[in-house]
Order: sequence, then structure tokens, then C-alpha cells
Amino acid sequence: MLRRHLIASLVMLPLSFAVPAFVPSASAADTVEVLLPPWGTLPKAMTDRLAAETGTALDTQTLGWDQILTKIATSMIAGSPPADATEVDWSWVGQFGAANWYQPLEGVVDAATIADIPSAKLFVFNGQLLAVPYANDFRVLIYNRDHLKRAGIAAAPTTPEQLLADAKAIKAKHISQYPIALPLSASEGSATAWYLLTKVFGGELFNDQFEPQFVKPDSAGYKAMAFEVDALKSGLISPAATGLKDVEVQELFKKGEASFDLAGWAGNVAVYSDPAKSKVADQVAAALMLTTTGTARTIGLPEAVGIPASAKNKGGAKAFINWFVKPQNQIDSYQTLGNLPTRTSVLKQLNSEGKLKSGDVILQQATLVDPLFKQGTPVWYPQFTSAVSSALNQAAKGELTVAQAVAQIAEQAQSAMQP
Amino acid sequence: MRKLTLHYLGRAGFALAVLVLLLWSLGPVYWAVLTSFTDPRDMLSEHLSLWPQHPTLEHFAKLFGASSASQGNEVQSVWPQFSRAFVNSLVTSAAATLVTLAAAAFGGYAFVRLRFPGRDLLFGLVVASMAVPAYTVMIPLYRLMISLHLIDTYLGVTLIYVSAFLPLALWLMRSVYQSLPVALEEAAWLDGAGRTYTLVRIVLPLAAPGLIATAILTFLSAWGQFMVPLVFSPSLATKSLTVLIPEFVTRNYVDYGLMNAAGVVAMLPPVLLVIFLNRFLVRGLIAGATK
Amino acid sequence: MNLASIRQRLRPVAGETWLGLAYVLPIILVMASLVFVPLVTTVIDSLYRIDPMRPGTPFIGVLNYKNLAADSNVQHATWNTLVYVVLAVLLETAGGLAAALLLNKVRRGRQWLLAVLVLPWCLPPVVNALVWLWIYNPSYGLLNNLLKAVGLLDNNVVWFNDHNTALLLVALVHVWRMLPLTAIILLAALQAIPADLYEAAKLDGAGRIKCFRMITLPLIAGGLAIALSQSTVFAFNLFDEAWILNGSSLDTRSLIIQVYMSAFQNLKFSYGMALSVLAMIASLVVSLVYVLKVYRETRFD
Repeated sequence: MLRRHLIASLVMLPLSFAVPAFVPSASAADTVEVLLPPWGTLPKAMTDRLAAETGTALDTQTLGWDQILTKIATSMIAGSPPADATEVDWSWVGQFGAANWYQPLEGVVDAATIADIPSAKLFVFNGQLLAVPYANDFRVLIYNRDHLKRAGIAAAPTTPEQLLADAKAIKAKHISQYPIALPLSASEGSATAWYLLTKVFGGELFNDQFEPQFVKPDSAGYKAMAFEVDALKSGLISPAATGLKDVEVQELFKKGEASFDLAGWAGNVAVYSDPAKSKVADQVAAALMLTTTGTARTIGLPEAVGIPASAKNKGGAKAFINWFVKPQNQIDSYQTLGNLPTRTSVLKQLNSEGKLKSGDVILQQATLVDPLFKQGTPVWYPQFTSAVSSALNQAAKGELTVAQAVAQIAEQAQSAMQP
Repeated sequence: MRKLTLHYLGRAGFALAVLVLLLWSLGPVYWAVLTSFTDPRDMLSEHLSLWPQHPTLEHFAKLFGASSASQGNEVQSVWPQFSRAFVNSLVTSAAATLVTLAAAAFGGYAFVRLRFPGRDLLFGLVVASMAVPAYTVMIPLYRLMISLHLIDTYLGVTLIYVSAFLPLALWLMRSVYQSLPVALEEAAWLDGAGRTYTLVRIVLPLAAPGLIATAILTFLSAWGQFMVPLVFSPSLATKSLTVLIPEFVTRNYVDYGLMNAAGVVAMLPPVLLVIFLNRFLVRGLIAGATK
Repeated sequence: MNLASIRQRLRPVAGETWLGLAYVLPIILVMASLVFVPLVTTVIDSLYRIDPMRPGTPFIGVLNYKNLAADSNVQHATWNTLVYVVLAVLLETAGGLAAALLLNKVRRGRQWLLAVLVLPWCLPPVVNALVWLWIYNPSYGLLNNLLKAVGLLDNNVVWFNDHNTALLLVALVHVWRMLPLTAIILLAALQAIPADLYEAAKLDGAGRIKCFRMITLPLIAGGLAIALSQSTVFAFNLFDEAWILNGSSLDTRSLIIQVYMSAFQNLKFSYGMALSVLAMIASLVVSLVYVLKVYRETRFD
């Protein structure tokens, strides 16, 4: 009897919670639903200011980055908007554009603002702007000043050959066992590092007809992959890199085990310089990306906000986007969430106030950002990039030669382009 | 003498088996607990230590504190979100367990003791639906939930959990009823008791261990669910812990300490449930079997 | 039992049909609306070209299925998944049965031991996979350090560099998490065996192994079939472990990861759905094979 009583009371308890289960869908006209990753989730001080300045209340859905695309695809195919405004990554632009999922933003944000955001051109599909960048991310060379000094190296390397020579010198003096930090796992971070190195070696992935340009041994893409594999084989990259994602490789640098973060994220200079997160806080410096042509080209992988074509409160979403890209809010977003501002004027202002670590290098590099695809991100990018990360990983593990790996990528790229 | 040796060997083997089980289950969990108490700087250390060098409550403070730190900045406390998600997980898992249990208790009985057309076909279909991957039905289900206005409601998430975990519960309960002797029920019918009365007053108490095992399995399955709340619980109104915890991964910084602290707290309700219910799982049957 | 009473038992009691239907009505409602109708919709969708990046949704018959057969990524994923299924079913059944037998024998502190046993399942899957990621870490991981400490290893091993090791390690994390399910199902079945059966067998001079073969195994056959099927189904649906431990790597990519990538990353929606339907059918067929086998071989009179 006692037993049944206990079970009954135990199971009744949660029922009392379950009653007020129905949450009425937001009906207030000035509430804007946004779907953003954790680093786009604004602190209360900012949302309060938004409400005070524009009269809009923000209803934020936060999702891990991997899951946002799942969420957007599910709701779009099911025919209902995921939110009034959502995250749009540069790599989704081709797909979202071809699917007509997002509303063109011409005239929504004024031309002067767009002109101040160079990375906005990555979000243009068929001549229409689909989203406005709020987080900047391009690659710079981040290095450990102290390691270089102890190895007797005066300045940061500017070419791949110099980098190899410097890394060998550092390894020879036992300052670092594996001086170069570079991800080689089957993940997106490894693929983008190869794209970056392809630019470093002075080439492109595809020509104007989307024909692969990385198969021949004298092509930039081939050289870039050979460079990565050789550096791994000669012990300049940790053998563990074949299993490490970009964030894990960054830990190696933060621990002071690696001397170069070769595909360093510009925003990470600030993270590495923070003693609370890094053991090498006062030894970090950034330099322009390596080059073989004299121009230190780099790639940018920014994130933006866009408005789904079927969004319910488009007016509110537009107001939010306009507010979000205002200089003051970009500065707040940088200081509280670590999002590197997308507006050139804001970067300059931060640098002049001394709030941007290695600011001169970052500002200079920001003007040298090349789009990865001149024609805009193609619809088949996700298939292509997963083929790249798989093949690159196999080449690093010695399962494929570089020639086989690039041939495999070219083959899968072509099959991805088939409708 | 030889018998005694065998006895001790048996005891030693038994103790060894218990030890292996403890190590297997607890080892990785211990690692998670350890990480939740480890100083962030020690996490990047090269020396393996089996206990925290500088134990800290920092991660739990981030979780429970009035304010929290993210990427070195003071930000809003995560506690309101965490506690809300904790309650959400508790409510949806408990509600799903209750509904599933009720449906499986009556349904399982019907599949064993009552004859009606299409019985075996229905049972086969329901059990076979265990093999349906979540992704396969996600988009039609999403359309349905939108049209019923059940997105982001406890009712919607609970119903999906029920449809996902009912097949296993039903199968378990059917096998429980199959193992019960029919004689007791027949005696009750002869005394003039109705079918439903017999089921509730006589059969269910006998089936208690099976019910408890089913309840534990259902609760645990619902507690660990990720895909369903990810898609069907867009906001904190119903978002579960499993969806909230991965959000502690920020773009350039994985907060292992905070994640593990949250994971450790998330383990508590299922573990308490098992410790509490297990008594009934084990004792109930011995009582029932000897009757 | 005489003929009359058999006839009596076979004849439905008045109202039994209606009572039975009333008992299962909630099940029919929930399963039909939330599983079967969506499932049929998806199967039908897989015969169309549903690709939001291209206009229209023409009927294309089994073209998606034909293309799947020729897709080398799908072949990789299928092979990996089969390996996962075999490893998971073997290890979970053997380990789960051992754990259940052990718990069934324990007299003191059983509820604590059971709580310990289910712990792996209580860790949220993401935390679980991250804990193991750290254990397998090639530079600082527990696995390397332990093996070096006992002298089995001289140098750190990058575990995921080897295709077969990687598969085994992913499967192991899955087994670690899912073993409690098998153990509880089998424990419930063991608990249902009346103790006097063993006493009678002992009086007949049966040894432990004989008792296990003649009494335990046949009587837990139902539970065993349930446990085997769920092991199979969950192993076919393996996603989190492989995704977090090794990303989209072809070495460890499972069928459901391939489904996810096709439908939700490449946005070739009906193509991904066709693959998920095939995965479902495969796991059903495999489960059915040994459900029938277990029932047939352990039937006792």
C-alpha cells in the first residue's frame, strides 16, 4: 500500500508542472524572433537598449552552430519560417539563394553602411544582398613572439619557405616539438585552411567555368596540400593534428606548444592575449598572411543575419538588423561576445582607441580579404567541402597520396555539381 | 576443503566482476566529475592526475551564480536558463513516462489477454516503428506540429516522446504479462470482477517490477533526447538540458568545465530516480513470484 | 485441460473485442498520427525530387534509390554501420547479460550498483562524447597514459588514424552508453523467473551451466529478443558518437550521418529521405531475423 502511494505521489508531482504547458505564441506586434548561435545571443544590456531605442523586444532562440542549419532547413521545407531573422553563414549563401528562402535586403540597410562592410559582397546571390554580416572572420598568421626570439628569428615569416625554415629552427632548439598548429581532421576547419593555403600559393580553387584548378602538380591547390602533408611528415605539425578540429588546434597554441597558428582567426588574437584563457597571453602577435606572390591574400568567413522570405514580422526584423550593425552595437558585440566588427570604420575606431590587439596588422589584412568563390558561394559547397576534408584527412594519414587526394576531390566536386 | 576453496574462488570472481562493472561505468563519469572541479588552467596541463590538483567550484559557480563569465567577460547568469531547461527536461520526461506507462500497461495487457481483430498486426507495426530513424519523420512531423500549434509546448514534445518510446515499453509490458499466470485473473473473473477492475487491482500490482523497469527506461530515454527538443523546442519555454548544454560551446572557446558541471547536474535526477525506484524493481518481484 | 474448457477459453468473452480496442485506442491514435502517417509521407516524398534549390517537385520514381546504390559515400557509410551493428550487438548483449546476472546475484547494495550501471546513460550525449574525446586525445588522453603506465605502449598513438581502430573506438562509446538498456531489460526478465525452478533443477542434480541453458536462457528469451532488437536499431541509428568524435570523416561515417549530410547540409532532401528509408528497412530486417531465431531456438515445452 505504502509502495503504491509513494509511486503515485512521485508521478503526480510533475503533472502539476505540466498544466501551464501552453505558451501562447508571441502576438505582440513589436516582438522580433531571432535565431542565432551563442555568440549572437545579445546580453541583456544590449537587448534593453534595443527596446528603448527602437521599441522592439527581442525573442532569441539560441542554437549551437551545427544545429542552426538543421533547424532552418526543417522549417523552410515544412513551409514555416524558423524566425523573423536568422543566422546566415557565408557557406549557405548559394543554397539559400537558389532556394529563394531569404528576402533580398536592398534598400533595407542604407548603401553607405553596406559600403562600410566589405564582407557584405559574400552574401550577394544573383546580384541581391541576402544577409548583412555582423561577425567578421578572416585569417591572419598568429605567432608566439617569444618562441621566435629564442630561436633567433627577428621577424615573422612572410613566405611558406620561410615559415618552414623558422619552424625547423624552433624545433631544432627544442623550443617547440611541433611548431606549426594546423588542423588536418575531417572537419570544415581543415578544409578552409587548405583553401587559405591555396590562396597563399597564389591560385584559385576553380576557374570561371567552375573547373577544378587544383589537380596539376604545379597548381596552387596541389602545392598547398603537399605543403601540409610534408610539414606533417617532417614533424613540424603534431601527428595528432589528423584528429584535431580547429578549436582543438588553437588550444595547442594557447598552451604554448605551437609557435604558429597558421590559419589564425583574426578575432582570436584577442582571445590568445587574454591571460584568463591563454598561457601565452603576453607573447602573442599577428602578422600578415604568408604569400608567394607578394600580396598577402587571405579568405574571409563571415557570419550574417538575414530575413526569411516567409518571416512574419519583417518590419521588426529590418529594424533589428539596422540596429545591430550600428557602430556602437558592433563595439558592444565585440567587447561582450568577441565578434570582430564587420564595419571598417569601427575597426579603425577601435584601433585608434587602442582596443584592437595587433590592430594595424588586422586592419591591413582586412583590406586584402578575397572571396573564396569569385562567382559567390555555389549551391554544392557543402558537398564539395566535405569531400575536401575527407580527402585531406586521408592524405594526411597516408591513406592517399596528394595526387590521389586532389583527384578524388575533383571527381567528387564534379559529381556534386551534377543536378 | 576443496569446496571451501571453490567457495572463496567464487567470492573472489564475484568481487572482481563487481569491480570491473564499477570501473567500466564510473571511470568516464568520474572523469566528467573531475573535470567539473578542475581549475581551467590545469585542464591544459600535460600531467595526468587522477584527482584535481587545485579543486575549484568555479564552474559550478558559473552555473549557479548570480553572474557568469563567458570568454573572460562578465555576462548574464546562466542559472535562469539552466534552471528553466532543467525543469523543462524534468516535466517533459516525467509526463512522457506517465503517459507511456499508462498506454503500455493497458495496451500490453490487451495484446496478451484480449482478443480483437488486427491485434497481432497492430502489435507488429508498433514494435517495428522502433526502427524509424528520427530524421525520417522529422519534416512531416514538424508540419503536423505547426498545424496543431504544438511547437514549443510541453504537450507537443511529450506526445513525440510517447510515440518514440511507446513501442519498447509496450513490448516489455507484453512480455511481463505473458510471464504472469492467468489463474489469478480467472479466479477474480469467477468472483464476478470486471476485466478492468481485475487488471488494475490484481494484475498491475503483480506486474509492478516490469512497470518500474519500463518507467526507468522511458524516463532515461526521454531525458537524453536531443533531436526532438532541438527541432520542436525552439525557445526556453520548453527547451531541454541536452539542447542547452552544447550552447556552452562558443566559437573560439569550448568551456569544458562548464559543460561538465552542467552534465554532472543533469545526471542527478535519473540517478536519484533509479536509486529510489530500484527497490521496487527488485523486491516487488520476489513478493509477486512466491504468491 | 479438457476440450470444453479449451473451447471456453478460445471463445471471446462478450465485449472483449470492444474492451481490447478501447485499451489500444490511445496507442493507435498516437502511433498513427505521429509515426505512421509521417512515415508514409516521407516514403512518398522519396519518390519525388524535393530539392529546394531547384524549382518544382517532379515525380522521379525510384531514381533516388538508384543513385544511392551508385554513391560511394553511401557504400562507405553502409559498411561502417554494419560494423557498428555487429560490434554493438555482440558487446551489449554479452556485457548486458553479464551485468544483469551479476546484479541478480547481488544481495546487498543492489540499488546502488544498478544506479552505477545506468550512469553512462544519464550523461547527456554531448557531454558523454566530449568526455570520450578527451579520453582518446592522442597527446593527453587517459587511454594512451594508461596503456603506457602498464607497459603496453611506448609512444602515444593517434587512435583515429587507423580506420579499424577508429570504428572500434566509436562503437565502444556507443556500447558504453547503450549497455544499461540491455542490462535492465534482461534484469527485469531474470527477476521474473521463479526461484523454485532452480531449486527443483538443483535437486535433479543439474549444474550451474545446465541450469543456465535449460532454465535461464529459455525464460529470458523474450527479454533477449527485445534487447537484441533495440541494440540493433540503436546501432543503425548511431550518430552523436561518430559525429562528435570524428566529424564527417569517411572512416567512421554512419548511415544516419550520411542521411543528415544529404538532407540537411546538402539540402537534397528527398535523396536523404530515401537513404533513411533504406536504413530503416535494413535495421528492421536484421532485427526480425534474430527475433525469429531467438524465439525458435529457445522455445521450450
